Amino acid sequence: MLKIDNLSKSYGHRAVLQHLSLAIAPSEIYGLLGPNGAGKTTTINLICNLLNADSGTIAIAHAPPNERTKRLIGVLPQETLLYRHLTCQENLTFFARLYGLRGQPLRQQVHQSLAAVGLSDRAQSLAHTLSGGLQRRLSLAIALVHQPQLLILDEPTTGLDIEARFALWELIRTLKQQGLTILLTTHLLDEAERLCDRIGLLKQGHIQAEGTLAELRQLIPAQEIALIQTPDPAAAIARAQTLGWPHRYYGQDLALWLPTAMDLRQIITQFDPIPLESVSRQPIRLEHIYLEVMQQTTAK
Amino acid sequence: MRYVNEIWAIATRILTELWRRKRSFIFWAVFPIAILLLNGLIFAERSKTVAPEPLTLGQALERSAPATLIGAALFFSCVGGSVATVVAEREQQTLKRLFLSPLSGFSYFLGICLAHSTIAIAQTLLVSLTALSLGAKFQGHWGLAIAILGLSVLSYVGIGFILGTQLARRTEDVNTLIAAFGVPLLILGGAFVPTFIFPKVLLDLAQYNPIYHMTEALTKVMAEGNGLAEIAGHFGFLVAFAVAMVGSGWLSYRRMLAVERRL
Repeated sequence: MLKIDNLSKSYGHRAVLQHLSLAIAPSEIYGLLGPNGAGKTTTINLICNLLNADSGTIAIAHAPPNERTKRLIGVLPQETLLYRHLTCQENLTFFARLYGLRGQPLRQQVHQSLAAVGLSDRAQSLAHTLSGGLQRRLSLAIALVHQPQLLILDEPTTGLDIEARFALWELIRTLKQQGLTILLTTHLLDEAERLCDRIGLLKQGHIQAEGTLAELRQLIPAQEIALIQTPDPAAAIARAQTLGWPHRYYGQDLALWLPTAMDLRQIITQFDPIPLESVSRQPIRLEHIYLEVMQQTTAK
Repeated sequence: MRYVNEIWAIATRILTELWRRKRSFIFWAVFPIAILLLNGLIFAERSKTVAPEPLTLGQALERSAPATLIGAALFFSCVGGSVATVVAEREQQTLKRLFLSPLSGFSYFLGICLAHSTIAIAQTLLVSLTALSLGAKFQGHWGLAIAILGLSVLSYVGIGFILGTQLARRTEDVNTLIAAFGVPLLILGGAFVPTFIFPKVLLDLAQYNPIYHMTEALTKVMAEGNGLAEIAGHFGFLVAFAVAMVGSGWLSYRRMLAVERRL
Protein backbone atom coordinates (compact mmCIF):
# COMPACT_ATOMS: atom_id res chain seq x y z
CA MET A 1 0.00 0.00 0.00
CA LEU A 2 2.81 2.41 0.90
CA LYS A 3 6.42 2.03 -0.18
CA ILE A 4 9.12 4.51 0.67
CA ASP A 5 12.49 3.98 -0.88
CA ASN A 6 15.73 5.79 -0.08
CA LEU A 7 13.96 9.01 0.84
CA SER A 8 16.03 12.05 1.83
CA LYS A 9 14.95 15.52 2.81
CA SER A 10 16.91 18.48 4.17
CA TYR A 11 15.86 21.88 5.44
CA GLY A 12 18.79 24.03 4.43
CA HIS A 13 21.89 22.29 5.76
CA ARG A 14 19.91 20.21 8.26
CA ALA A 15 19.27 16.69 6.99
CA VAL A 16 15.93 15.51 8.41
CA LEU A 17 15.52 12.27 6.48
CA GLN A 18 18.47 10.26 5.24
CA HIS A 19 17.78 7.34 2.91
CA LEU A 20 14.59 6.36 4.69
CA SER A 21 13.01 3.16 3.40
CA LEU A 22 9.93 1.36 4.63
CA ALA A 23 6.96 -0.53 3.25
CA ILE A 24 3.49 -1.05 4.65
CA ALA A 25 1.31 -3.91 3.43
CA PRO A 26 -2.44 -3.53 2.97
CA SER A 27 -4.44 -3.85 6.23
CA GLU A 28 -1.28 -3.51 8.30
CA ILE A 29 -0.74 -1.12 11.20
CA TYR A 30 2.79 0.19 11.03
CA GLY A 31 4.14 2.16 13.98
CA LEU A 32 6.73 4.82 13.23
CA LEU A 33 8.41 5.71 16.50
CA GLY A 34 11.19 8.09 17.30
CA PRO A 35 12.18 11.07 19.40
CA ASN A 36 11.09 14.62 18.57
CA GLY A 37 12.88 15.79 15.46
CA ALA A 38 13.52 12.26 14.20
CA GLY A 39 11.66 13.00 10.95
CA LYS A 40 8.21 11.48 11.57
CA THR A 41 6.21 14.59 10.68
CA THR A 42 8.43 15.32 7.68
CA THR A 43 7.74 11.78 6.46
CA ILE A 44 3.99 12.40 6.78
CA ASN A 45 4.32 15.74 4.97
CA LEU A 46 6.09 14.00 2.11
CA ILE A 47 3.52 11.20 1.90
CA CYS A 48 0.72 13.80 1.84
CA ASN A 49 2.41 15.75 -0.95
CA LEU A 50 2.86 18.81 1.26
CA LEU A 51 6.63 18.77 0.73
CA ASN A 52 8.90 17.58 -2.05
CA ALA A 53 11.67 15.10 -1.33
CA ASP A 54 15.28 15.88 -2.21
CA SER A 55 15.75 12.30 -3.43
CA GLY A 56 14.14 8.89 -3.17
CA THR A 57 10.63 7.74 -4.00
CA ILE A 58 7.26 7.28 -2.34
CA ALA A 59 4.56 5.09 -3.83
CA ILE A 60 0.99 5.19 -2.51
CA ALA A 61 -0.93 2.35 -4.15
CA HIS A 62 1.85 2.38 -6.77
CA ALA A 63 1.48 6.11 -7.51
CA PRO A 64 3.82 8.93 -6.47
CA PRO A 65 2.33 11.54 -4.10
CA ASN A 66 0.21 14.01 -6.04
CA GLU A 67 -3.14 15.74 -5.73
CA ARG A 68 -4.89 12.48 -6.73
CA THR A 69 -3.21 10.37 -4.06
CA LYS A 70 -4.53 12.84 -1.46
CA ARG A 71 -7.88 11.17 -2.05
CA LEU A 72 -6.39 7.81 -1.00
CA ILE A 73 -5.09 9.18 2.28
CA GLY A 74 -6.90 10.13 5.47
CA VAL A 75 -4.92 12.00 8.10
CA LEU A 76 -5.60 12.48 11.78
CA PRO A 77 -3.19 15.33 12.57
CA GLN A 78 -1.53 15.81 15.96
CA GLU A 79 -3.68 18.84 16.75
CA THR A 80 -7.46 18.60 16.70
CA LEU A 81 -8.09 20.86 13.72
CA LEU A 82 -11.83 21.46 13.60
CA TYR A 83 -14.15 24.30 12.70
CA ARG A 84 -15.28 25.04 16.22
CA HIS A 85 -18.51 26.81 15.32
CA LEU A 86 -19.74 24.09 12.99
CA THR A 87 -21.60 21.01 14.17
CA CYS A 88 -20.07 17.56 13.82
CA GLN A 89 -22.26 16.91 10.81
CA GLU A 90 -21.35 20.26 9.21
CA ASN A 91 -17.64 19.65 9.73
CA LEU A 92 -17.93 16.27 8.02
CA THR A 93 -20.14 17.58 5.22
CA PHE A 94 -17.64 20.36 4.51
CA PHE A 95 -14.68 18.02 4.20
CA ALA A 96 -16.69 15.42 2.27
CA ARG A 97 -17.49 18.11 -0.31
CA LEU A 98 -13.80 18.97 -0.64
CA TYR A 99 -13.22 15.34 -1.58
CA GLY A 100 -15.85 15.60 -4.31
CA LEU A 101 -18.78 13.91 -2.58
CA ARG A 102 -22.27 15.22 -3.25
CA GLY A 103 -25.91 14.32 -2.81
CA GLN A 104 -26.88 10.93 -1.43
CA PRO A 105 -23.31 9.47 -1.31
CA LEU A 106 -22.22 12.50 0.72
CA ARG A 107 -25.07 12.13 3.20
CA GLN A 108 -24.42 8.40 3.44
CA GLN A 109 -20.69 8.84 4.07
CA VAL A 110 -21.25 11.54 6.69
CA HIS A 111 -23.75 9.27 8.45
CA GLN A 112 -21.41 6.25 8.26
CA SER A 113 -18.37 8.19 9.47
CA LEU A 114 -20.28 9.55 12.46
CA ALA A 115 -21.49 6.05 13.25
CA ALA A 116 -17.99 4.59 12.85
CA VAL A 117 -16.59 6.86 15.56
CA GLY A 118 -19.67 6.62 17.78
CA LEU A 119 -20.80 10.22 17.31
CA SER A 120 -24.20 9.66 15.66
CA ASP A 121 -26.01 11.02 18.69
CA ARG A 122 -23.81 14.15 18.71
CA ALA A 123 -24.21 14.94 15.01
CA GLN A 124 -25.84 18.31 15.76
CA SER A 125 -23.45 19.31 18.56
CA LEU A 126 -21.07 22.17 17.87
CA ALA A 127 -17.47 20.95 17.68
CA HIS A 128 -16.30 23.22 20.50
CA THR A 129 -18.84 21.75 22.90
CA LEU A 130 -17.32 18.24 22.61
CA SER A 131 -14.83 16.86 25.12
CA GLY A 132 -11.21 16.36 24.04
CA GLY A 133 -11.82 12.66 23.41
CA LEU A 134 -14.91 13.30 21.29
CA GLN A 135 -13.13 16.03 19.33
CA ARG A 136 -10.42 13.48 18.51
CA ARG A 137 -13.12 11.10 17.33
CA LEU A 138 -14.64 13.80 15.15
CA SER A 139 -11.21 14.52 13.75
CA LEU A 140 -10.87 10.81 12.96
CA ALA A 141 -14.29 10.82 11.31
CA ILE A 142 -13.09 13.66 9.05
CA ALA A 143 -10.06 11.56 8.13
CA LEU A 144 -12.39 8.69 7.22
CA VAL A 145 -15.22 10.52 5.47
CA HIS A 146 -13.83 10.06 1.95
CA GLN A 147 -13.10 6.35 2.50
CA PRO A 148 -9.30 6.48 2.31
CA GLN A 149 -7.16 3.41 1.74
CA LEU A 150 -4.29 4.65 3.89
CA LEU A 151 -4.95 6.23 7.28
CA ILE A 152 -2.19 8.26 8.91
CA LEU A 153 -2.58 8.73 12.65
CA ASP A 154 -0.16 11.31 14.02
CA GLU A 155 -0.02 10.82 17.79
CA PRO A 156 -3.73 10.01 17.90
CA THR A 157 -4.20 9.73 21.66
CA THR A 158 -1.89 12.45 22.94
CA GLY A 159 -3.68 14.46 25.60
CA LEU A 160 -6.56 12.02 26.01
CA ASP A 161 -7.60 10.49 29.32
CA ILE A 162 -7.17 6.75 29.72
CA GLU A 163 -10.83 5.95 29.02
CA ALA A 164 -10.87 7.94 25.78
CA ARG A 165 -7.53 6.39 24.85
CA PHE A 166 -8.88 2.84 25.22
CA ALA A 167 -11.96 3.77 23.19
CA LEU A 168 -9.82 5.19 20.38
CA TRP A 169 -7.54 2.12 20.40
CA GLU A 170 -10.60 -0.08 19.99
CA LEU A 171 -11.74 2.06 17.11
CA ILE A 172 -8.34 1.81 15.40
CA ARG A 173 -8.43 -1.99 15.74
CA THR A 174 -11.89 -2.04 14.16
CA LEU A 175 -10.64 0.07 11.24
CA LYS A 176 -7.80 -2.37 10.67
CA GLN A 177 -10.26 -5.25 10.66
CA GLN A 178 -12.22 -3.39 8.00
CA GLY A 179 -9.14 -3.49 5.79
CA LEU A 180 -7.64 -0.04 6.30
CA THR A 181 -3.86 0.33 6.14
CA ILE A 182 -2.62 2.49 9.00
CA LEU A 183 0.58 4.42 9.61
CA LEU A 184 0.75 5.40 13.27
CA THR A 185 3.23 7.73 14.92
CA THR A 186 3.24 7.95 18.68
CA HIS A 187 5.40 8.67 21.69
CA LEU A 188 3.32 6.23 23.74
CA LEU A 189 5.17 2.95 23.43
CA ASP A 190 2.42 0.90 25.02
CA GLU A 191 0.10 2.26 22.34
CA ALA A 192 2.46 0.98 19.64
CA GLU A 193 2.80 -2.35 21.45
CA ARG A 194 -0.96 -2.80 21.62
CA LEU A 195 -1.82 -1.70 18.09
CA CYS A 196 1.03 -2.18 15.65
CA ASP A 197 1.74 -5.23 13.51
CA ARG A 198 5.20 -3.88 12.75
CA ILE A 199 7.24 -1.07 14.19
CA GLY A 200 10.01 1.08 12.74
CA LEU A 201 12.32 2.96 15.10
CA LEU A 202 13.34 6.22 13.48
CA LYS A 203 16.24 8.38 14.54
CA GLN A 204 18.28 10.94 12.67
CA GLY A 205 16.08 10.47 9.65
CA HIS A 206 16.78 6.78 9.27
CA ILE A 207 15.03 3.57 10.34
CA GLN A 208 17.38 2.13 12.96
CA ALA A 209 15.41 -1.04 13.60
CA GLU A 210 12.23 -2.51 12.21
CA GLY A 211 10.06 -5.57 12.65
CA THR A 212 7.28 -7.15 14.65
CA LEU A 213 7.49 -6.79 18.40
CA ALA A 214 8.79 -10.37 18.62
CA GLU A 215 11.48 -9.58 16.06
CA LEU A 216 12.50 -6.40 17.84
CA ARG A 217 12.76 -8.29 21.13
CA GLN A 218 15.66 -10.23 19.60
CA LEU A 219 17.69 -7.01 19.77
CA ILE A 220 17.97 -7.47 23.53
CA PRO A 221 19.73 -10.77 24.32
CA ALA A 222 17.87 -11.40 27.55
CA GLN A 223 14.77 -13.13 28.86
CA GLU A 224 13.81 -10.50 31.41
CA ILE A 225 14.97 -7.30 32.96
CA ALA A 226 15.66 -6.72 36.65
CA LEU A 227 15.43 -3.19 37.99
CA ILE A 228 17.57 -2.58 41.03
CA GLN A 229 17.86 0.29 43.47
CA THR A 230 20.96 0.17 45.62
CA PRO A 231 23.08 2.63 47.63
CA ASP A 232 26.16 1.00 46.03
CA PRO A 233 25.54 0.86 42.30
CA ALA A 234 29.23 0.47 41.46
CA ALA A 235 29.37 -2.80 43.41
CA ALA A 236 26.13 -3.98 41.83
CA ILE A 237 27.45 -3.24 38.35
CA ALA A 238 30.71 -5.05 39.11
CA ARG A 239 28.74 -8.08 40.31
CA ALA A 240 26.51 -7.99 37.20
CA GLN A 241 29.61 -7.94 35.02
CA THR A 242 30.99 -10.96 36.87
CA LEU A 243 27.70 -12.74 36.23
CA GLY A 244 27.81 -11.75 32.54
CA TRP A 245 24.58 -9.71 32.84
CA PRO A 246 24.67 -6.55 30.72
CA HIS A 247 23.45 -3.46 32.53
CA ARG A 248 21.82 -0.19 31.46
CA TYR A 249 20.55 2.90 33.20
CA TYR A 250 16.90 3.75 32.45
CA GLY A 251 16.73 7.16 34.09
CA GLN A 252 17.72 6.57 37.73
CA ASP A 253 17.02 2.82 37.59
CA LEU A 254 19.83 0.33 37.15
CA ALA A 255 18.54 -2.32 34.78
CA LEU A 256 20.14 -5.75 34.42
CA TRP A 257 19.49 -8.01 31.48
CA LEU A 258 18.77 -11.49 32.80
CA PRO A 259 19.86 -14.30 30.45
CA THR A 260 17.24 -16.64 31.90
CA ALA A 261 13.99 -16.10 33.74
CA MET A 262 14.59 -16.23 37.49
CA ASP A 263 12.62 -15.32 40.58
CA LEU A 264 13.41 -12.40 42.87
CA ARG A 265 15.02 -14.61 45.54
CA GLN A 266 17.53 -15.94 43.00
CA ILE A 267 18.39 -12.41 41.85
CA ILE A 268 18.86 -11.16 45.42
CA THR A 269 21.05 -14.17 46.26
CA GLN A 270 23.36 -13.37 43.34
CA PHE A 271 24.03 -9.90 44.82
CA ASP A 272 24.63 -10.95 48.42
CA PRO A 273 26.07 -9.10 50.42
CA ILE A 274 25.52 -5.90 48.36
CA PRO A 275 22.68 -3.92 50.00
CA LEU A 276 19.61 -3.71 47.73
CA GLU A 277 16.80 -1.27 48.45
CA SER A 278 14.43 -2.71 45.88
CA VAL A 279 14.42 -5.31 43.14
CA SER A 280 11.74 -5.88 40.54
CA ARG A 281 11.41 -7.96 37.38
CA GLN A 282 9.97 -6.86 34.07
CA PRO A 283 9.40 -8.60 30.77
CA ILE A 284 11.27 -7.03 27.84
CA ARG A 285 9.03 -4.31 26.53
CA LEU A 286 9.13 -1.96 23.61
CA GLU A 287 10.41 0.86 25.82
CA HIS A 288 13.55 -1.17 26.61
CA ILE A 289 14.12 -1.94 22.94
CA TYR A 290 13.46 1.68 22.00
CA LEU A 291 15.94 2.99 24.57
CA GLU A 292 18.54 0.46 23.50
CA VAL A 293 18.22 1.35 19.81
CA MET A 294 18.23 5.09 20.50
CA GLN A 295 21.26 4.85 22.80
CA GLN A 296 23.14 2.72 20.28
CA THR A 297 22.45 5.29 17.57
CA THR A 298 23.68 8.10 19.81
CA ALA A 299 26.83 6.11 20.65
CA LYS A 300 27.51 5.59 16.92
CA MET B 1 -17.85 20.80 -11.49
CA ARG B 2 -15.10 20.02 -9.01
CA TYR B 3 -14.29 23.71 -8.57
CA VAL B 4 -17.95 24.68 -8.21
CA ASN B 5 -18.35 22.07 -5.49
CA GLU B 6 -15.27 23.30 -3.65
CA ILE B 7 -16.15 27.00 -3.98
CA TRP B 8 -19.66 26.27 -2.70
CA ALA B 9 -18.24 24.27 0.23
CA ILE B 10 -15.89 27.09 1.28
CA ALA B 11 -18.53 29.80 0.92
CA THR B 12 -21.27 27.95 2.80
CA ARG B 13 -18.82 27.02 5.54
CA ILE B 14 -17.82 30.68 6.10
CA LEU B 15 -21.43 31.86 6.03
CA THR B 16 -22.59 29.08 8.37
CA GLU B 17 -19.87 29.96 10.88
CA LEU B 18 -20.77 33.64 10.68
CA TRP B 19 -24.46 32.87 11.07
CA ARG B 20 -23.67 30.73 14.10
CA ARG B 21 -21.90 33.62 15.78
CA LYS B 22 -24.44 36.19 14.56
CA ARG B 23 -22.68 39.15 16.18
CA SER B 24 -20.68 39.96 13.05
CA PHE B 25 -23.83 39.81 10.95
CA ILE B 26 -25.66 42.14 13.32
CA PHE B 27 -22.79 44.65 13.41
CA TRP B 28 -22.37 44.53 9.64
CA ALA B 29 -26.06 45.43 9.38
CA VAL B 30 -26.18 48.06 12.14
CA PHE B 31 -23.00 49.93 11.15
CA PRO B 32 -23.91 50.92 7.55
CA ILE B 33 -27.49 51.81 8.52
CA ALA B 34 -26.19 54.07 11.30
CA ILE B 35 -23.65 55.71 8.95
CA LEU B 36 -26.30 56.08 6.22
CA LEU B 37 -28.70 57.87 8.54
CA LEU B 38 -26.00 60.07 10.09
CA ASN B 39 -24.59 61.04 6.69
CA GLY B 40 -28.09 61.65 5.32
CA LEU B 41 -29.08 63.88 8.23
CA ILE B 42 -25.78 65.83 8.01
CA PHE B 43 -26.21 66.27 4.24
CA ALA B 44 -29.80 67.45 4.63
CA GLU B 45 -28.92 69.87 7.42
CA ARG B 46 -25.81 71.28 5.71
CA SER B 47 -27.73 71.78 2.45
CA LYS B 48 -29.93 74.36 4.22
CA THR B 49 -26.97 76.70 4.58
CA VAL B 50 -24.66 75.66 1.72
CA ALA B 51 -26.80 74.48 -1.23
CA PRO B 52 -28.91 76.82 -3.36
CA GLU B 53 -31.90 74.60 -2.60
CA PRO B 54 -32.10 72.56 0.61
CA LEU B 55 -32.16 68.78 0.12
CA THR B 56 -34.95 66.62 1.46
CA LEU B 57 -33.89 63.66 3.63
CA GLY B 58 -34.60 61.35 0.68
CA GLN B 59 -32.35 63.38 -1.64
CA ALA B 60 -29.64 63.51 1.01
CA LEU B 61 -29.84 59.73 1.39
CA GLU B 62 -29.52 59.29 -2.38
CA ARG B 63 -26.12 61.01 -2.17
CA SER B 64 -24.94 59.35 1.02
CA ALA B 65 -26.06 55.77 0.27
CA PRO B 66 -23.37 54.94 -2.36
CA ALA B 67 -20.52 56.21 -0.17
CA THR B 68 -21.97 54.41 2.83
CA LEU B 69 -22.17 51.18 0.83
CA ILE B 70 -18.58 51.39 -0.37
CA GLY B 71 -17.11 52.68 2.85
CA ALA B 72 -19.13 51.52 5.81
CA ALA B 73 -20.59 48.30 4.45
CA LEU B 74 -18.43 46.55 1.88
CA PHE B 75 -15.05 47.71 3.20
CA PHE B 76 -15.52 46.25 6.66
CA SER B 77 -17.31 43.08 5.60
CA CYS B 78 -15.10 42.28 2.60
CA VAL B 79 -11.65 43.50 3.74
CA GLY B 80 -12.16 42.86 7.47
CA GLY B 81 -14.06 39.65 6.79
CA SER B 82 -11.45 38.23 4.38
CA VAL B 83 -8.56 39.11 6.70
CA ALA B 84 -10.41 37.58 9.64
CA THR B 85 -11.20 34.40 7.66
CA VAL B 86 -7.58 33.86 6.60
CA VAL B 87 -6.15 34.76 10.02
CA ALA B 88 -8.65 32.53 11.85
CA GLU B 89 -7.77 29.61 9.56
CA ARG B 90 -4.10 30.12 10.33
CA GLU B 91 -4.65 30.66 14.04
CA GLN B 92 -6.93 27.63 14.50
CA GLN B 93 -4.63 25.73 12.12
CA THR B 94 -7.60 24.53 10.08
CA LEU B 95 -5.62 25.71 7.06
CA LYS B 96 -3.38 22.67 7.63
CA ARG B 97 -6.38 20.41 7.40
CA LEU B 98 -7.34 22.08 4.11
CA PHE B 99 -3.83 21.46 2.76
CA LEU B 100 -4.34 17.74 3.39
CA SER B 101 -7.46 17.74 1.22
CA PRO B 102 -7.45 18.06 -2.58
CA LEU B 103 -8.92 21.60 -2.31
CA SER B 104 -7.36 23.89 -4.92
CA GLY B 105 -6.09 27.34 -3.98
CA PHE B 106 -8.24 28.77 -6.76
CA SER B 107 -11.41 27.38 -5.16
CA TYR B 108 -10.37 28.60 -1.72
CA PHE B 109 -9.86 32.14 -3.02
CA LEU B 110 -13.12 32.20 -4.96
CA GLY B 111 -15.00 30.56 -2.07
CA ILE B 112 -13.99 33.44 0.20
CA CYS B 113 -14.95 35.89 -2.58
CA LEU B 114 -18.36 34.24 -2.93
CA ALA B 115 -19.05 34.27 0.82
CA HIS B 116 -18.21 37.95 1.12
CA SER B 117 -20.04 38.82 -2.09
CA THR B 118 -23.14 37.27 -0.55
CA ILE B 119 -22.72 39.47 2.50
CA ALA B 120 -22.10 42.43 0.19
CA ILE B 121 -25.34 41.75 -1.69
CA ALA B 122 -27.25 41.58 1.58
CA GLN B 123 -25.69 44.86 2.74
CA THR B 124 -26.45 46.52 -0.60
CA LEU B 125 -30.06 45.47 -0.33
CA LEU B 126 -30.25 46.62 3.28
CA VAL B 127 -28.74 50.06 2.64
CA SER B 128 -30.69 50.59 -0.60
CA LEU B 129 -34.01 49.52 0.91
CA THR B 130 -33.47 51.70 3.98
CA ALA B 131 -32.71 54.71 1.78
CA LEU B 132 -35.66 53.94 -0.52
CA SER B 133 -38.01 53.58 2.44
CA LEU B 134 -36.97 57.06 3.61
CA GLY B 135 -37.70 58.70 0.28
CA ALA B 136 -34.56 58.20 -1.81
CA LYS B 137 -35.04 57.56 -5.53
CA PHE B 138 -32.13 55.88 -7.23
CA GLN B 139 -31.63 56.30 -10.94
CA GLY B 140 -28.98 55.32 -13.43
CA HIS B 141 -27.90 52.00 -14.82
CA TRP B 142 -28.31 49.19 -12.26
CA GLY B 143 -26.01 46.91 -14.25
CA LEU B 144 -23.25 49.51 -14.05
CA ALA B 145 -23.88 50.00 -10.34
CA ILE B 146 -23.64 46.23 -9.81
CA ALA B 147 -20.41 46.13 -11.84
CA ILE B 148 -18.91 48.88 -9.63
CA LEU B 149 -20.01 47.03 -6.51
CA GLY B 150 -18.62 43.75 -7.88
CA LEU B 151 -15.26 45.30 -8.71
CA SER B 152 -15.18 46.92 -5.27
CA VAL B 153 -15.87 43.56 -3.59
CA LEU B 154 -13.13 41.85 -5.65
CA SER B 155 -10.67 44.64 -4.81
CA TYR B 156 -11.54 44.44 -1.12
CA VAL B 157 -11.20 40.64 -0.98
CA GLY B 158 -7.85 40.95 -2.79
CA ILE B 159 -6.69 43.51 -0.20
CA GLY B 160 -8.00 41.23 2.53
CA PHE B 161 -5.86 38.37 1.20
CA ILE B 162 -2.77 40.56 1.04
CA LEU B 163 -3.23 41.81 4.60
CA GLY B 164 -4.37 38.44 5.96
CA THR B 165 -1.55 36.41 4.46
CA GLN B 166 1.33 38.88 4.75
CA LEU B 167 0.70 41.24 7.64
CA ALA B 168 -1.81 39.81 10.12
CA ARG B 169 -0.62 36.90 12.23
CA ARG B 170 -3.25 36.95 14.96
CA THR B 171 -6.90 37.95 15.23
CA GLU B 172 -5.90 41.04 17.24
CA ASP B 173 -3.81 42.24 14.30
CA VAL B 174 -6.94 42.53 12.15
CA ASN B 175 -8.33 45.55 14.03
CA THR B 176 -5.05 47.45 13.99
CA LEU B 177 -4.54 46.75 10.31
CA ILE B 178 -8.03 47.87 9.37
CA ALA B 179 -7.64 50.98 11.53
CA ALA B 180 -4.19 51.85 10.19
CA PHE B 181 -4.81 51.20 6.50
CA GLY B 182 -8.54 51.44 6.14
CA VAL B 183 -9.90 54.35 8.09
CA PRO B 184 -7.63 57.06 6.58
CA LEU B 185 -8.38 55.71 3.09
CA LEU B 186 -12.11 55.66 3.82
CA ILE B 187 -12.10 59.27 5.02
CA LEU B 188 -10.00 60.35 2.06
CA GLY B 189 -12.34 58.37 -0.21
CA GLY B 190 -15.39 60.33 0.91
CA ALA B 191 -17.02 57.43 2.69
CA PHE B 192 -17.75 59.35 5.89
CA VAL B 193 -17.21 62.99 4.89
CA PRO B 194 -18.34 64.33 1.51
CA THR B 195 -15.40 65.09 -0.75
CA PHE B 196 -16.76 68.49 -1.78
CA ILE B 197 -15.66 69.89 1.58
CA PHE B 198 -12.06 68.67 1.04
CA PRO B 199 -9.31 71.26 0.50
CA LYS B 200 -7.65 71.06 -2.93
CA VAL B 201 -4.59 69.28 -1.62
CA LEU B 202 -6.72 66.45 -0.21
CA LEU B 203 -8.77 66.25 -3.38
CA ASP B 204 -5.57 65.90 -5.39
CA LEU B 205 -4.43 63.17 -3.04
CA ALA B 206 -7.80 61.43 -3.26
CA GLN B 207 -7.23 60.86 -6.99
CA TYR B 208 -4.78 58.11 -5.98
CA ASN B 209 -7.20 56.54 -3.52
CA PRO B 210 -9.21 53.67 -5.03
CA ILE B 211 -12.01 54.15 -2.51
CA TYR B 212 -12.50 57.70 -3.82
CA HIS B 213 -13.01 56.29 -7.32
CA MET B 214 -15.41 53.64 -6.03
CA THR B 215 -17.57 56.16 -4.14
CA GLU B 216 -17.45 58.75 -6.91
CA ALA B 217 -18.36 56.21 -9.59
CA LEU B 218 -21.22 54.71 -7.60
CA THR B 219 -22.58 58.11 -6.50
CA LYS B 220 -22.51 59.42 -10.06
CA VAL B 221 -24.37 56.33 -11.32
CA MET B 222 -26.89 55.87 -8.50
CA ALA B 223 -27.57 59.45 -7.44
CA GLU B 224 -26.93 61.41 -10.61
CA GLY B 225 -27.91 58.85 -13.25
CA ASN B 226 -24.60 59.00 -15.13
CA GLY B 227 -23.56 56.33 -17.63
CA LEU B 228 -20.27 54.62 -18.35
CA ALA B 229 -19.00 57.48 -20.51
CA GLU B 230 -19.28 59.98 -17.65
CA ILE B 231 -17.53 57.74 -15.14
CA ALA B 232 -14.99 56.20 -17.53
CA GLY B 233 -12.02 57.61 -15.58
CA HIS B 234 -13.23 56.29 -12.24
CA PHE B 235 -14.33 52.97 -13.76
CA GLY B 236 -11.02 52.44 -15.56
CA PHE B 237 -9.10 53.12 -12.37
CA LEU B 238 -11.36 50.68 -10.52
CA VAL B 239 -10.92 47.90 -13.10
CA ALA B 240 -7.13 48.29 -13.01
CA PHE B 241 -7.14 48.38 -9.22
CA ALA B 242 -9.38 45.29 -8.95
CA VAL B 243 -7.12 43.33 -11.32
CA ALA B 244 -4.02 44.43 -9.40
CA MET B 245 -5.52 43.55 -6.00
CA VAL B 246 -6.86 40.15 -7.08
CA GLY B 247 -3.48 39.37 -8.68
CA SER B 248 -1.53 40.53 -5.64
CA GLY B 249 -3.93 38.75 -3.30
CA TRP B 250 -3.45 35.54 -5.26
CA LEU B 251 0.34 35.87 -5.22
CA SER B 252 0.28 36.60 -1.48
CA TYR B 253 -1.83 33.53 -0.93
CA ARG B 254 0.59 31.39 -2.98
CA ARG B 255 3.47 32.77 -0.94
CA MET B 256 1.72 31.88 2.29
CA LEU B 257 1.10 28.35 0.98
CA ALA B 258 4.80 27.90 0.24
CA VAL B 259 5.61 28.79 3.86
CA GLU B 260 2.77 27.10 5.72
CA ARG B 261 1.98 24.07 3.57
CA ARG B 262 3.07 21.45 6.04
CA LEU B 263 1.82 19.82 9.24
